[in-house]
Amino acid sequence: MSDTATRTLGDEIVATPMAPASGRAKLLKMLVPLVAFAAMLAVPIFVEPFWTQVGFGVFAAAIGAIGLNLLVGTTGQLSLAHAFFLAVGAATYCYVSGESGGTATEVGGLGLPPVVGMLCGVALAGLAGLLFSPIAARLRGIYLGVASLGLVFIGQHLMNTLEEVTGGFNGRATPIFAVPGFSFGSSDPDLFVLGIPFGEAEREWYLGLFLLAAAWWFAHNLLRSRPGRALQTLRDSETAAAVMGVNVQAYKARVFLLSSMYAGLAGVLVALSIGAIAPESFTLEVSVLYLAMIVLGGLGSVGGAVAGAAFVSALPVIFQRYADVLPLLSQPGQGGLSAPQGARILFGLTIIAVVLFQPAGLAGLARRRPRRPARTTSVAPSTAPAQGSTP
Amino acid sequence: MTLFLSLLLNGLSLGALYALIALGFSVIFKASEVVSFMHGSLLLFGAYTTARLAADLPFGVAVLLGIGLTAGVGLLVERLLINRLRGSSVISLAILTIGVDIILVTELTRRIGSDILNMPAPWGGDVIRIGDVGITTNRAYAMLVAAVLIALFFAAFRFSDWGVAMRANAEDGETAALMGIKPGRVSALAWVVGAGLAAVAGLFLVGSPTPGVAPGIQAVALRAFPAAILGGLDSTGGALVGGLIIGLAESFASGYQDQILFLGRGFGDVVPYVVMILVLLVRPSGLFGTRELTRV
Amino acid sequence: MSVRVERGAGPTAAGDRGIPPLVVRDVTVQFGALKALSEVSFTVEPGTIHAIIGPNGAGKSTMFNVLSGVYKATAGDVRFGDAVLTTLRPHQIAKLRVARAFQNIALSGTQTVAENLMLGRHHLTAAGFLSAGLRLPKATKEGRLHGQRVREIAEFLELGDKLETPVGVLSYGDQKRVEVARALCTEPDLLLLDEPVAGMNAEETRRMAAAVLEIRSALGISVVLVEHDMGMVMGIADRITVLDFGRRIADGTPEQVQSDPEVIRAYLGSGDDTEESSA
Repeated sequence: MSDTATRTLGDEIVATPMAPASGRAKLLKMLVPLVAFAAMLAVPIFVEPFWTQVGFGVFAAAIGAIGLNLLVGTTGQLSLAHAFFLAVGAATYCYVSGESGGTATEVGGLGLPPVVGMLCGVALAGLAGLLFSPIAARLRGIYLGVASLGLVFIGQHLMNTLEEVTGGFNGRATPIFAVPGFSFGSSDPDLFVLGIPFGEAEREWYLGLFLLAAAWWFAHNLLRSRPGRALQTLRDSETAAAVMGVNVQAYKARVFLLSSMYAGLAGVLVALSIGAIAPESFTLEVSVLYLAMIVLGGLGSVGGAVAGAAFVSALPVIFQRYADVLPLLSQPGQGGLSAPQGARILFGLTIIAVVLFQPAGLAGLARRRPRRPARTTSVAPSTAPAQGSTP
Repeated sequence: MTLFLSLLLNGLSLGALYALIALGFSVIFKASEVVSFMHGSLLLFGAYTTARLAADLPFGVAVLLGIGLTAGVGLLVERLLINRLRGSSVISLAILTIGVDIILVTELTRRIGSDILNMPAPWGGDVIRIGDVGITTNRAYAMLVAAVLIALFFAAFRFSDWGVAMRANAEDGETAALMGIKPGRVSALAWVVGAGLAAVAGLFLVGSPTPGVAPGIQAVALRAFPAAILGGLDSTGGALVGGLIIGLAESFASGYQDQILFLGRGFGDVVPYVVMILVLLVRPSGLFGTRELTRV
Repeated sequence: MSVRVERGAGPTAAGDRGIPPLVVRDVTVQFGALKALSEVSFTVEPGTIHAIIGPNGAGKSTMFNVLSGVYKATAGDVRFGDAVLTTLRPHQIAKLRVARAFQNIALSGTQTVAENLMLGRHHLTAAGFLSAGLRLPKATKEGRLHGQRVREIAEFLELGDKLETPVGVLSYGDQKRVEVARALCTEPDLLLLDEPVAGMNAEETRRMAAAVLEIRSALGISVVLVEHDMGMVMGIADRITVLDFGRRIADGTPEQVQSDPEVIRAYLGSGDDTEESSA
C-alpha cells in the first residue's frame, strides 16, 4: 500500500508555528504601514487646510467602508442600510453632546462631553443593528439587501420626524469634538506647529487618522482569526460553515452588529466633517456610494475599502475644484455636466468595469505580484470546480 | 365611509402599479438570478422618454415608443452586461445593476433639471366619480391596464413557450438546458418584459394625481421592492399580492394620516417598508417564496 | 485549550474512547410530494466503516444532510449516544464531534489550505470578535496551538507543502483531500465522507482508501461513507446499507450485500452507475 498508511496521525507535534514568514518579509510587512502612518502624520504641515478637510472626510468614509466591507465583502451579506446606521451615529452624537436651543428648529441636547457622545453614537448604531439582526440573521444575501433598503427610508422618516433630536428637515449643527483639555475646534488651546496654525481642519485630520488606524487594525486582525475565517466560509457556503460548527445565525447577527458600529463611528465623523446633520446627508444614495467604495476598492479587503473610500469621497471634490480645467465638466448652472454628476457617472462606469473585469478591485491591482492572493476576495466567491462526472 | 372607499380604490390602483413593477422584478430574478436595483431608473427612463416624445408625436405613438425604448434598455443591459456574468454571485450581479442605475439616474436627473416634465395624457387631470368616491381617470386607467397586463402575463407565463421555458429554467437550469431551452434567451426576454412593465407603471405613476416626471418617482419604484420581497422574490403570484398589500397599506396610511400622527407626518411613504420588515420577521422568504430546504 | 492528540489504536479503541453507535431509525424526508427517504433505518457500530450506497437519486446525499442537520427529517430520528441529532442544528451537531466532508467541494476558495483547515478547529476554539480584533494574547496563543495540529493533519493527507496555497488554485484531487482534512481537523468521533474519491484517478483513490483506513485505525472513530466507487467500498467497508428510491433495500456485510438479488436488480435496473465497480 502507499506510504500514506505508514504515516500515523498525531505521532508528533511539529513545533514550528503556522505560516512562518521569513524575517525580512515580516519586518517589511510591519514597516510599510508604520512608514505610511508616519507620512500621514506629517501631511497637515505641508498641505493647505482644504486638503486636510477633504482628508478628514475620507477618513470618516473609510471607517464606514471598512465596516460595510466586513458585512458585504467578507460575509456576503448585501446591505443598503449603511446610511441609516451612519445617521443613527451622527444624530446620537449631536443630541448627546449638543446643547438645547436652536434658531430655526427648537432642538434638545444633553450637553455631555463629546467623547461620551461619540461612544453613545457607536453604541446606539450597534444597538440599532442588533434590533435589526433578527432579520439580518435569517435572511440570505439578496433578501437582506432589499430588506435593508427599508431601514434607509425609515431612517429618513425618523430624521424628519424626531425634530428634538435631529433638528428635523433643517437639521442641526454638530457640536465640536473635544477631549478633556483639548478641543478639536480652531482654538482652546491655540496651537502652532512649526509656525503653522493648527486649526479645526488640522486637528480633525489627526482625530480621523487615529480612529481610522484603530478601525483598520481591528478589522485586519479580525479577518485573520477564528471569527474572520468563519465569516469568509459563511460567504462561500453557509452549509459548510454550519456543518463545521459555525453558528451561522449568531455570526450573521454579530457581523451586522459590528458593521453598524463602524457605521456609527463613521456617522459621528461625517457629522463633524460636514459641521451639521440633515436628512439629505443620509439618503439611499449615500448607502449606494458606500457600496461603490467597497466594490471599487475590492470586496473583502480592508485596505481596498480605504482606497475605495478615498476615491469615491475625494473625486467629486477634486472635480469641483478643477472643474474649469477638466474636459466635459461645466460650472454649476450652465446645464452641462456638473462636478458631482460627472463623478457619479464615473463611479457607475467604474462599478460596472470592476464587476466585469477586475472583481478584486483596487486591492487586486495592488496585489498583482503573486504574494498572497488568498487575502483578496473576489466579487464572485470562487466556486470550487464543479463536481466532475463520477468515474 | 366615503374616505374609506376612496382610499380603498386608490390603494388598489396604486397596488396594481406596484404589482406591475414587482412582477418585473420577479420575472427577471427567476430568469437571470438578478435582483434589479435599476428598476427605478428604468421607470424614470420610460416616463421621461414618453413625456419628451409626446411633445412632438401623438400620445399613443409616444407611449408605445417609450415602452419599446425602455424594453430596449433592458435588453441592452442583459445582452451587454448580465449575459457575460452568467453564474456570478447574486450579489455581484445586483451591484452591477446598481452601477447602471447610478449612470442612468444621474443623466436623467440632469436632463430633467429642476423642472417638472408634464405627461401630456389626453385624460389629463380628470376625475371619475362613483357616488361620493373619486379617483383620477389616470389611476382608473392604470388599474384597468395593469389588470389586463397582469392577466396577459399570467396567461403567457402559463401557456406560451417562453413561460414554459422560463419556469423550467427556474426549476432546474441544467435539465432545462439539456432539453434545448436557451437560458440566455429566457433571460433576455425576461429583461424586455421586466423593463417594459416598469415603463408602463412609470407612465401612470407620473400622471395625475402626481404632478409629472420628476426624479423623485424612482423612490416610488423602490417601493415595489417591498412588494416583490414580501410576496416572495421568486413568486410571480406573490408579486401580485405583495403589490396590492403595499398599495393599500400606503393609501390607508396616507389617508388616515391624522389618526396616526404619532407616527410622524409622511408615514405613508415608509409604510411599505415597515410592512415588509414585519412580514420578513415571520417569513424570511416572503409569503409565497420558495422556502429554503436547508436550515443552518 | 490543549490539542487533542490521539495515539494509534485499533478499532477496539472506539469502546475505550466512549464513541457511541449512530442509530438511524425510520427516517423519512419529504419535499412536497416527493419522498426522498422513506423509513430508513440502520446502525453504525462504533469504530466501523459503514458505507451507504445506491444508484443516483437513491437518497444518499439526503441522508447525509439529515445526519449533519442540514435537512430536517419529516419523521423518524437519528441518535448519537444520548443526543438526538434530528432535533439539532448543524453547528450543534458539529459540537458533538460529527464531521462531514462534502461531495461537491464546499471550501472557501479564496482562503488558504491552512485557513480552511483552521475552520475545522472552530468548535474547539473560543476566540470571539473582540478578542480576535484586539489581538488579545489568548486568541493569538490559541491560533498558534491549533495551527500545529492542523499542520499535522495536513501532512497526513499529503497537503503539508500546500498549507499557504489558496484552495481555489489547487487541483481537484487536492481539494478533495482538503475537504477530508478539514473534517478531520474537527477531531471527530463520527466522520461522514460524501464521495471522497469521486473524480479521482486510480492511484489517488487507492491513497485515499488507505488514508480512510488509517484514520479509522489510528483514531478509532466511526466512518460513514457514501461512495460510488464499488472497488473502494467493498475493499474498506465493514458494513453496507443500500438505498434505492429512498428506501433501504439491503443492509449487511459487503459479501451479503454483493449477493443480494434486490441490490443487483437495483443496480442493473438503473443502469447508470454499475460501471462504477471498475475502479
